[in-house]
Amino acid sequence: MKKLYGFMFAAAAAFALTVSSASAQTPAPTESAADLREIEYGKDIFKTKANCQFCHKWDGSGDQGYGGNALPLRTTELTLEQFVETVKCGRIGTGMPYHDRFAYNDKRCYDTTREELGNDTPPIANEYLQPREIAAVAKYVFARQKGRGVKGSYEDCLDFWGKESKQCEQFK
Amino acid sequence: MNHIKTTGMLAGMLLAATALSPAMAADMTMERALKADSEPGNWILHAQNYEGHRFSRLKEITAENAKNLKLAYTVALGGYQSGGRYPHGNLEGTPLVDDGIAYVTDGWGSVYAVDASANKRGSRVIWKMDPGTDRAWAGDVACCGVNNRGVALWKDKIVSIALDGRLFLIEKKTGEMLWEAKVAEPAVGETITLAPLVIRDVAITGSAGGEFGIRGWYDAVDLNTGKQKWRTFMIPGPGEPGHESWKGGGNRWKHGGASAWVTPTFDSTLNLIYAGVGNPGPDWDPDYRPGDNKWASSVVAMNPDDGKIKWGFQYTPNDPYDFDEISEHPIVRMKINGQDRTVMTHAARNGFYYSLDAANGSFITGKQYVDKLTWSTGLDPKTGMPLEYDPKKDVQDYIASMTPRRSRPTTDVKCPTTSGGKNWQPTAFNPDLNIMYIPSAEGCNKLTLVVQKDWEDEPGGTVKPRDRFTGGGGVNQGRIEGSVKGVDPLTGEMKVKTAYRYPNWAGLMATAGNLIVTGWPDGEFVAYDAKTLQEVYTYSTGCGINAPPVTYTVAGKQYIGLLVGSIQKAAILQDSPELKNSATCSMFYAWAL
Ligand code: HEC
Repeated sequence: MKKLYGFMFAAAAAFALTVSSASAQTPAPTESAADLREIEYGKDIFKTKANCQFCHKWDGSGDQGYGGNALPLRTTELTLEQFVETVKCGRIGTGMPYHDRFAYNDKRCYDTTREELGNDTPPIANEYLQPREIAAVAKYVFARQKGRGVKGSYEDCLDFWGKESKQCEQFK
Repeated sequence: MNHIKTTGMLAGMLLAATALSPAMAADMTMERALKADSEPGNWILHAQNYEGHRFSRLKEITAENAKNLKLAYTVALGGYQSGGRYPHGNLEGTPLVDDGIAYVTDGWGSVYAVDASANKRGSRVIWKMDPGTDRAWAGDVACCGVNNRGVALWKDKIVSIALDGRLFLIEKKTGEMLWEAKVAEPAVGETITLAPLVIRDVAITGSAGGEFGIRGWYDAVDLNTGKQKWRTFMIPGPGEPGHESWKGGGNRWKHGGASAWVTPTFDSTLNLIYAGVGNPGPDWDPDYRPGDNKWASSVVAMNPDDGKIKWGFQYTPNDPYDFDEISEHPIVRMKINGQDRTVMTHAARNGFYYSLDAANGSFITGKQYVDKLTWSTGLDPKTGMPLEYDPKKDVQDYIASMTPRRSRPTTDVKCPTTSGGKNWQPTAFNPDLNIMYIPSAEGCNKLTLVVQKDWEDEPGGTVKPRDRFTGGGGVNQGRIEGSVKGVDPLTGEMKVKTAYRYPNWAGLMATAGNLIVTGWPDGEFVAYDAKTLQEVYTYSTGCGINAPPVTYTVAGKQYIGLLVGSIQKAAILQDSPELKNSATCSMFYAWAL
C-alpha cells in the first residue's frame, strides 16, 4: 500500500498551488462576517476538538515527537480539496489520523480498506469530524496559517491562545 | 529560582507557629512516615510506604470474599478543562487517606479533601484548593497529558504541586494555601507532575520536560521556609563525573533531558532516595548526542539531606528508544546466601526487570518480563548492561535494525513500544507471597529519526526553549495489549501472570487479603486473587482508569478507592475502535463489602 501513498503524494505535488506570499496580520478585508465565523469555528476544532495542534503545533508549523513527524501546514502545497481529503482519510502508513468515521470500513478513502492496509491503516482520530467541521478547519488553516511564514507571530499567538496566558511572551 | 509568596502576616505567623508547636496526634511526622505499614487504616505516603510497596496489611476484603464488593460511593471532581496541547485533563493521582478523609488531585493541580466515610449524605467535597494553573502555558510543554500524581502530608499541612511548576503548602483542615514556591520553569519547558516526596522537613520534587530540551533535576524545598535546600541536576555539569559522557559538542548536556517525574522511593537505613531518570534528548536521534549520556535512562541513589549522588546505574546507555526510567524503584529487604541485603528493584521501561544492591548499586540479576523484546538479546549477567552494549562505541546500535540512526532513519518493528514494557504505572509488592507485581504494556512500534537541529545557544542553532526536541517520532504497530505479571523480586522469574486486552495505565495495589487491584483503560475496575491472578471482582466504571488504587478504613470498615477519568490515548485507540466513543470523566470511586 506504500505505492498508493506515493502516488497520492506525487499527485499532490503536481497540482499544488504556488505558495501565496500574502502575510497580512489582520484579516483581509474580503473576509465576510460569515467567513470570520467559520474561521473561528475551525480554529476551535484545530485547537480542542480535533486537537490538530498536539501534533502540528498551535501555529501549524509542524512538529515531531509523540504525534509522529507531523508536516508543517503553513507551507503545505496541498490544494483545499486535497487538504480536506487528508483530514478525512488520514495518511496511509503515517501518524496522520483519519477523521471520517467510516473511512476504511468501505473504500471511500484511497479506494482501500482496513483489511487491505493492516498496520499501515492510519490511526483513528481523537474525535471524528463531520464534513462541515472539516471544511471549517481547512478554511482556518488556509486563512490563518498557510502562506504566512514558517512560524506563527506574536499576533497569531494572541489570536490562538488569548491574552490571559504567559504562552505568547516567548513570541514577542 | 525560588521565591516564597506568603499571604501576609497571618501566613508568617502560622509558619512560625507550626515550626514550634509539637505534632498533634493526627499530624504527619517522620515517625509516622517510617511506620506507615503499621497504620493500614490510613494511606499516608504516595506509594503506601517509603520503600514503594503499595501493599496494605488490611484484610477484611480478601480474595475469597471480594466477589461481594459493592460500590460504596462516587464523587464528581473537576479538572477536565482543555489547556495547551490537550483537550482534557487526566486523573493519574494516588489518593492519600488520613483519618477518614481522602486528599486527591486533578490533572490541573486542584486538591480536594473528600469525606470518605460510609454514611455521609450530600456533598462529600469538604474543600477544594484550585491553584489557578496557567493551562495554555503549562499544557503546551507537557509531553504526555495534563497530569498530577498526588499530594504529600507534612505536619497538619498538605504539600502539592501544579503543572506550571509551583509547589504549595496548604492547611489540611481548611484548604487555605499558605504559600507557593516556584520550583520548575515552563518558560524553558519544565513542568511538574510527580507527587512530592516529604522526608523530615523537605519536599522533594523533580522536573518533567524530557521532550523539550530541559536539563532535568530533583529539587528539595525546606517546608519551614519555602526556600530551596538543594537541587541536583541529572546531567553532570563540567568537572562532574559523567559530564564526559555527553559528546558531540555544543551545549548537548544543557538540553539533554534526563527528566524527573515520578516520586522516588526511600530507604531510611541507608538514608538514600532512589530516583528514576528520564530519557536523553533528543529522544530518537542518538547520533546527535554521542556518549553514554549519564544519568539519562538511569537510577540514581541520592542523600535526601543534601542531594549528593551516592551511586547511579544506567539501564540503557545512549538510549535511542526513549526508554525513560523514571518509574518507581521498590526496596525489598531479603536474605541472599544467608546474608541480609537491601535490594533495589525496577521493572524497566526497556522491558527488563532488575535487582541491584541498594547500598552500592551493584547489579544482582535482570530478566526480560515483557512478552516481546527485540532491541537486545539480553543482559550481561555480570554488569547488567544490554549484551550488545559496546563501551568503545559512542553511539550504540544495540540490535541495529531496531535502532534509529542517521544512516538508516526508520527502524523495523521494535518491541516494546516507546511507552515501554511499563511506564510510570506503579508495581505492587506482596511481602507475604514474596511476589512483585508488574502492570505492563505489550506491543511494538517503529521509529523514524529526523536529524535534530541545534539550539539557539549554539552557533547557527535555531531551536528555542519550549520547542519540541525529539529528533523524530514513532508510529505504533498494531494493537497494544497489557498484562499483570508476578515475578520473584530478586530474580525476576515469572511466577504468575494474566493478560488483558488493553495496556495497564493505572498501576497496582496489593493487600494482605491476597488481592491485586487495578483499573483498565476501558473503565474496568478489577480485583485479582494474588496467587492465581484470576479475576475475583470486576466493576465497569464507565470511564477510562489511569490511576492506582488505595485502601483504607473509616470507622473500622475497609474501602478500596481510586480516581477514575482519563482520555483514551491514540496509542490504544489504534486498533481498538470499540473504545472510540467513551468520554472522559473526573471521579473518585470507592468500594466496600
Ligand atoms: C496524532 C497526530 C496528528 C494529528 C492529531 C493530526 N495530524 Fe495531520 N499529520 C500528522 C502527521 C504525522 C503527518 C505527516 C504525514 C506524512 O508523513 O505524510 C500529518 C500530515 C498532515 C497533512 C498533510 C500535509 C502535507 O502538506 O502533505 C495535513 C493537511 C494535516 N496533517 C492536517 C491535519 C489537521 C487539519 C488535523 C486536525 C483535524 C491534523 N492534521 C491532526 C499527524 C497528526
